[in-house]
Amino acid sequence: MSGNLVFLAGLVTLAMIYATYTMILNFEAGWGGLWDLGPAGLIAVGAYTFAIFTAPQEGIVFAPQQSLVVGWLASIIVTAAVAYIIGKPALRLRGEYFLITTFAFSVMAIELITTESWLTAGAGGFRTITRPFDSYIGSREYNFLLCGLSIVTAFVVYLLLRRLGHSPFGRALRATRENEAAATSVGRNIPEMRLKAFVFAGALFGATAPLYIFYVRSLYPHMFGATLTFTLWTAMVIGGIGNLKGAFIGALLLIGATEATQFLQVSVEYANILAAARPILIGVALLVVIRFRPHGLFPETLAFKHPRSRALASRAQEQRTVAE
Amino acid sequence: MQYIFFALITGSTLALAAVGFALVRQTEGFLNIAHGQFMLLGAFVAHTLATTYGLNLGLAIAITVPLIGLIGLATAWIVFFPLRDKGLLAQFFSSVGVAFIVYGIVSALWSGRAIKVFPMTADFSVAMPGFSATAIELGIVIGAWLAVLSLHLFLAHTRVGTSIRAISGNAELARARGINVRLAVGSVWFVGTALAGLSGILIGLIGGVSIELGWHYILIILAVAVLGGLRTLYGVLIGGLLVGAVIELSTLVVPSKYGVLIAFGLIVVTLLLKPEGIVSVSKRKEASA
Repeated sequence: MSGNLVFLAGLVTLAMIYATYTMILNFEAGWGGLWDLGPAGLIAVGAYTFAIFTAPQEGIVFAPQQSLVVGWLASIIVTAAVAYIIGKPALRLRGEYFLITTFAFSVMAIELITTESWLTAGAGGFRTITRPFDSYIGSREYNFLLCGLSIVTAFVVYLLLRRLGHSPFGRALRATRENEAAATSVGRNIPEMRLKAFVFAGALFGATAPLYIFYVRSLYPHMFGATLTFTLWTAMVIGGIGNLKGAFIGALLLIGATEATQFLQVSVEYANILAAARPILIGVALLVVIRFRPHGLFPETLAFKHPRSRALASRAQEQRTVAE
Repeated sequence: MQYIFFALITGSTLALAAVGFALVRQTEGFLNIAHGQFMLLGAFVAHTLATTYGLNLGLAIAITVPLIGLIGLATAWIVFFPLRDKGLLAQFFSSVGVAFIVYGIVSALWSGRAIKVFPMTADFSVAMPGFSATAIELGIVIGAWLAVLSLHLFLAHTRVGTSIRAISGNAELARARGINVRLAVGSVWFVGTALAGLSGILIGLIGGVSIELGWHYILIILAVAVLGGLRTLYGVLIGGLLVGAVIELSTLVVPSKYGVLIAFGLIVVTLLLKPEGIVSVSKRKEASA
């Protein structure tokens, strides 16, 4: 029974972590219209910065074993800086070209992490992760602490992004997505806004990346493959692109469904098939939602409650449908 | 010399893989992420036919390639045709969904992460001072280019091929002129996916097949397609050879682990420098719809 409780805490933790990333993705991709296929790369940068600064790893040149706060700040700063370096040139590109470029940067980041083992421990990875309060409580209870921490993180990110989404910046950001020319004509500096949004999303990815490795308790390059990015996008598409609450719930549903397969007890010969059920489930969910609810479970128009803006949004939606 | 030959082998298989991808991209307008997984499926089916059923390798390939084409056509029929009006993002993410499903099915049917090696023996090999090539390596290069050549003949000299080119040029106009769009787009999916299957097999012949083949190669295919320019098929062939050359020849200068990194550096540089990468406002509106 208590084993199940620990499992449940782990499930909630993972779901909250994914929900956090999906909401950040919703901020830049859903509202900002930036088709970023590089979240996995940025999360990897954040996680590795944190681990390099804090973990007691031997055999790498730079392991200062700083306090967790220093590691966390470093992770935010470095990830934001990397996002700036990527975003500055890449944001000149649009649509699928931006998508390919961010994807390429993400793959390059993972490749670099794998090859540069003098700094990142390479494919061998970090096997010990320094976690907050780890020495004070037992490892079983720690699962619950981590669960609480992930819930708090998800809600802080949610409130922050909701505030931002309703702010003038958030509204202007959505305006740039809808109609670039109109946004420019009312005096918005679009390249600057996009860069700000991209770097801010990068900083958030960096700030929340350590949580992921607290949960996994080790760090390897293959944790940040294309699957991570696509899972986040799937969660956002299911929830409804551009709807923050949708992103949150979409991630919970997706992780809940895929991880629940672990509950099933099956014999060894079916274990393979069960493991394969996860990608199939993600794929089918994606296809079904796109086909039958193209705006997701929670369309964006519901997200902005002000009556007038809602009317405007639904009109925009109609126009878009007509244009299609 | 030997390295140039290696570059030619890698380049030919990449060009073949990317040309099918580019064909679908041109007519359907979106990046078909599932392409890599059809390569994986082709390699695994051919491998099973050649080992479990003990078929001759050539026969196994001859059965597998059209079979994968048919599966691709069926997938397009079920998934992609109904989404035609829903925009590029919907089609793109549906192809991601298809990729996940095919990947899941392949890992369920062929359990185990071990690399599968094709049973084959080289009947002869060509050896010169500083250069050697086995029959299989030569076969891969020749097979790849024969496939490319037949694709060219198909597109250039058949009625369906002509309508395919018309549709990728201007779909509305092609439809208005009474071209059979269904037949043309259907054959694009059949041919494109069959080429994916064939390239998967050829890549498997060189180094064996791992379950991650699809995810790995779709990235390189994107690199090739971008380098060659997303709009031309023949550019993609050059892109394939170029990326193959970069991956293989870079091992002369830097450790081989940097091959993929350099290939991706190349995409980024191309995209940032080449003005065609920057799509105009109208193109962006179409893309975000």
